[in-house]
Amino acid sequence: MAKQVLSFTVNGEPVEALVQPYMTLLDALREDLGLTGPKEGCGTGDCGACSVHLDGKLVASCLVLAHQARGRSVTTIEGLARGKTLTPVQDAFVRRGVAQCGFCIPGVLMSAAALLAENPKPSEEDIRYAIAGNLCRCTGYTKMIEAISEAAGAKG
Amino acid sequence: MSTVMKTTRDVKGVGLSIPRPDGPEKVTGQVQYVADIQPRGLLHAKLLRSPHAHAKIKRIDTTRAKALRGVRAVLTAADMPYLKKKAPTRAHAVLAIDRVVFAGQPVAAVAADEVAIAEEALDLIDVEYEVLEAAVDPLEAMKPGAPPVAEAGTEADTSEAQAHGSVSGVAAVAKPAKAVNISQQSKLARGDVAKGLAESDVVIEKTYRVPMVHQGYLEPHAVLAQWDTTGQLTLWASTQGSFNTRSEVADVLEIAENRIKVIPVECGGGFGGKIRALCEPVTAELARVTGRPVRYVMTRREELVAGMPAPQVIITLKTGVKRDGTLMAIDGEMIIESGAFSGAVLAVGGVFLASLYKWPAFEVRGFEVLTHKPSIAAYRAPVAPHTIYAIDSHMDQIADALGQDPVAFRLRHLQREGDPMANNQPWASNGGVEVLERIAAHPAWKKREEWKKSAPAGKLRGTGLSLGGWLGGLQPTSATVRLNPDGTLSVLTGQVDIAGTNIALAQIAASAYGMDIDKVKITTGDTDVAPMTGLSAGSKTVYTVGTAVLQAAQDARRQTLEIAAKELEAAVQDLEIEDGKVVVKGVPDKGVTIASIGKKGNLYMSKVQPVLGVANPAFTQQAPAFAAQLARLELDADTGEVTLHEFVVVQDVGKAINPLACEGQMQGGAVQSLGFALTEGLMYDDKGRLTNPSLLDYRKLTAADLPNIECIIVEKPSPAGPFGARGVGEPPIVPAPAAIANAIEDAAGIRLTELPMTPEKIALAIAAR
Amino acid sequence: MHRFDLVTPGSIDDCLRALKGRGPDVKVLAGGTDLIAQLKVGMLKVATVVDLSGVADLRVLEGDAQRGFRIGAAVTARTLERDAKLRAALPSLSESGALVGSIQIRNLATLGGNICNAAPSADMAPPLVALDAEAVIAGAAGRRKVPMASFFKGVRQTVLAPDELLVEFVVPATGPRSGGAYLRHTPRRELDIAVVGVASQVSLKDGVCAKARIALAAVAPIPVRATAAERALEGQPLTPQAIARAADLALEAAKPISDQRGSAEYRRHLVRVLTRRTLTIALERATA
Repeated sequence: MAKQVLSFTVNGEPVEALVQPYMTLLDALREDLGLTGPKEGCGTGDCGACSVHLDGKLVASCLVLAHQARGRSVTTIEGLARGKTLTPVQDAFVRRGVAQCGFCIPGVLMSAAALLAENPKPSEEDIRYAIAGNLCRCTGYTKMIEAISEAAGAKG
Repeated sequence: MSTVMKTTRDVKGVGLSIPRPDGPEKVTGQVQYVADIQPRGLLHAKLLRSPHAHAKIKRIDTTRAKALRGVRAVLTAADMPYLKKKAPTRAHAVLAIDRVVFAGQPVAAVAADEVAIAEEALDLIDVEYEVLEAAVDPLEAMKPGAPPVAEAGTEADTSEAQAHGSVSGVAAVAKPAKAVNISQQSKLARGDVAKGLAESDVVIEKTYRVPMVHQGYLEPHAVLAQWDTTGQLTLWASTQGSFNTRSEVADVLEIAENRIKVIPVECGGGFGGKIRALCEPVTAELARVTGRPVRYVMTRREELVAGMPAPQVIITLKTGVKRDGTLMAIDGEMIIESGAFSGAVLAVGGVFLASLYKWPAFEVRGFEVLTHKPSIAAYRAPVAPHTIYAIDSHMDQIADALGQDPVAFRLRHLQREGDPMANNQPWASNGGVEVLERIAAHPAWKKREEWKKSAPAGKLRGTGLSLGGWLGGLQPTSATVRLNPDGTLSVLTGQVDIAGTNIALAQIAASAYGMDIDKVKITTGDTDVAPMTGLSAGSKTVYTVGTAVLQAAQDARRQTLEIAAKELEAAVQDLEIEDGKVVVKGVPDKGVTIASIGKKGNLYMSKVQPVLGVANPAFTQQAPAFAAQLARLELDADTGEVTLHEFVVVQDVGKAINPLACEGQMQGGAVQSLGFALTEGLMYDDKGRLTNPSLLDYRKLTAADLPNIECIIVEKPSPAGPFGARGVGEPPIVPAPAAIANAIEDAAGIRLTELPMTPEKIALAIAAR
Repeated sequence: MHRFDLVTPGSIDDCLRALKGRGPDVKVLAGGTDLIAQLKVGMLKVATVVDLSGVADLRVLEGDAQRGFRIGAAVTARTLERDAKLRAALPSLSESGALVGSIQIRNLATLGGNICNAAPSADMAPPLVALDAEAVIAGAAGRRKVPMASFFKGVRQTVLAPDELLVEFVVPATGPRSGGAYLRHTPRRELDIAVVGVASQVSLKDGVCAKARIALAAVAPIPVRATAAERALEGQPLTPQAIARAADLALEAAKPISDQRGSAEYRRHLVRVLTRRTLTIALERATA
């Protein structure tokens, strides 16, 4: 049960970390790499707060063992914006005052980013299903969906 | 207030939809919640929880757990001699003594180097239980001879009712001696109910049931505790009220309040569930015995099994009306199941049941019943969704039985300002009539017949609405407003900002002082530095803390003008603040900058006092706030699946300080209300164990289940709120269950009286038509 | 979650070596959406986890409507949902993949994991049963094939021996004029578990139903075939009346329990509704 070296790419940077075999990717990101943007809302894949991209695919990082990410590429909410420039979706979330408590927001934004990468012109229905794995208790989702729609439109 | 508005020119403040300033931090994952804080030497806590709802603890042996490498402390009640057997509240029942009274109750606590090690240690604690019969069904628990829940002689806890400050003048009723689990009883009565019912043409009796539900905040309870060498405790807490947390922890641990500093970290949602202390005392004790920082983060399963949910409520209504629609009498019985510790708000329910509409005779009996389940706490407008579900389902059925229009029927009988509530206090000014009239004008209501007829084969379509609200919470509070040397303002409160209330408070300060909002900064201070501030609960942040900020800003403005008056050799009443300057009215060239006044308050050898506005108001006048909601839906006649096509919220907010934030409250509250209506409920087996302890089986609605929530803001100013504002948070969680039930009846001719109204209940009721 | 060791084989043979002499405290990890969740809540405790994510052979996906398909055990639900060939040729299986959890779950959850977890409500089991698919199982003695209809032995129990590994599924060609569908009922549209699931597959010849398969989820300890309903359809034209009768007969195979997800009464009701609906869609697809 000794820690093992995990080499992978996180937010575009190669990373090596000593990680316990039983550590989840979420815990490794949060505890070992200090990337606390992804949240644990349930620990069993039922809320989406821990969503990250693993090789470009949206996953619940609470259900992935850290060592399953060896040699792969992980993007977290911290890696979504380019430097200080927010993505159009992040910007729309800010301007439309989407976030209330904010706990679900990193996960929702990762889902929105995964959607727009595959489908730059989503319908409202597409957006609803794309973020259906992200529970939010504050907003009722309406402003999120409007913000994602607006950002998709802004992308042209 | 109005004079302030007159003297200020084009102020960017009240009434503008300004997004909260911490938005960029929230969308980049930079905001820190408790679980994100990792001090050096951090230990992780875990609790061993009882698998039984009711059992005697015969023996606890922690030897094996203590021997596990990496375990730093193992605690049981025996290690905390100050714990009392007759715990008056859940917070006081830190670890069980001798007896467990709900499944999930903490029995022992561990602190270890890693979460995994702490969890393994729990498996190494040996507990011998003698399982006892549990009181699970509240109707059975009420009966004489039921297994007792509380230790004999434990007092009922009415602090929740006080925290919500909602209703006075309701007589408590002495409880019957033999019904050991009835912990509180109340009665509201006026007139001759028996006579009224006897003289009625149409009598309808129904029982409505709402199960326990969880507040569902996304961030589970979390706390980080650390003691310093002088015996000061610091708690980083996810709380709705840092001063409240401080008081409770001080009381439980028997230490002075000023030895505890509570830092209110960003709170990932509370909705009433993070008012009362829960895991803070045990975490503090683990930190004390280990001398290390200790963090405890509840798992979602623990939240669902052993959080502090909203109560189960069972309401039986019997109403009588004349053929012409005259209301005659209402008889109501409301049973609130509080779980293992007392704490229900009995009075609010009674007021809504008996006096939302003009019943000439009423009697509403309220019972709080204890059972062997987790004890309850507030959930956004506690007990209001339950009672409005009952009364507004009932009103629709009466209107239907009489062949009357449901809106006209409600409007005819709705109590107005000045009418006596059931507790004999007059209804304060409110917008109940206005929101009902506004929603009845919505096209989806006007075209409900067309909608119904448009259903495709195999589907049923219907429309329903409901009116509900909240009486308004009150709590003393305070705020300071400082003028900085560069002419900016700093506002300080202890207000925990969950939903974005700080921007609204800053807007109030900006307008009240006469300064643009971008020059106003607001800070939530910890309990060592902030002035005493109330809870973020009860729809009272803007109403009460907003008033404190308003008065503090007015005080700062007055001081600013007085300093300027001396300099300008003018009378205060001849001055106004314009564009960062105090000027003499009509002589725009004659003035001093606010920055210069600020600067002189911080200059060596200056004789000018620093501007420090202070306000510490207490309140007596509530401002009821109403919301009406409309649902246009379609049912699958075979599976019972519900598709919501439109959902409209019309709400009286008094004055929308920040319309964007008001909409956020209305939309979020509406979806919680829809969760009550459609999918949510904690389910227990006959041994009192939760059978759906995950977010797969405890179903909060997802984006795919909902339409966009349409918001219509109505502004009927409250007499006492800042700029006429009313509470916004609570009204929108109230009406949806009745609106949905009424829409389902419209669609399918079935009346569902038990929440949640699942596809199963709908399909089986349709099949049985 | 308790501590455990992790083994990361790079091939199926490595994997079999890791499983040799395996005890009950060794578990195989594919997508993790069941296993890690069960470890987290303490339903399972293990000493060693064998992680399959490095075994590329388990992700094979090849074939077409004419030849049938080989689908690796580690193919994800999201791939089943989105692979164009699979969607066209095996719509019921694709639909079952599309219904699991949420996108962040479907990108992890695997076909083999869903089957080996052997929950009565497993969505991907009824389509595989209705498609007459076989499971390919590797063991020390070589490989064996087991029809999906006899793969399950009970709640969370399968024919897999402790030292065996489920490698892939062979789905035979459905033939021309064949159609299938999978539907399930859940209270929510996403992020939910089947209260009842029904897969139907029909093949037409000369205007009558030549072959019918109906498989049900969450109405018995294991996924079950509604054989009486199948027999009643075979040799008959698929009229609405015949479909309605089959939907009634499908109830004979259902032995549902009442639990937190639904009552036995509602489950029986749903078996009838969903059998009728899946047969109707399957017929449409067969005639398209």
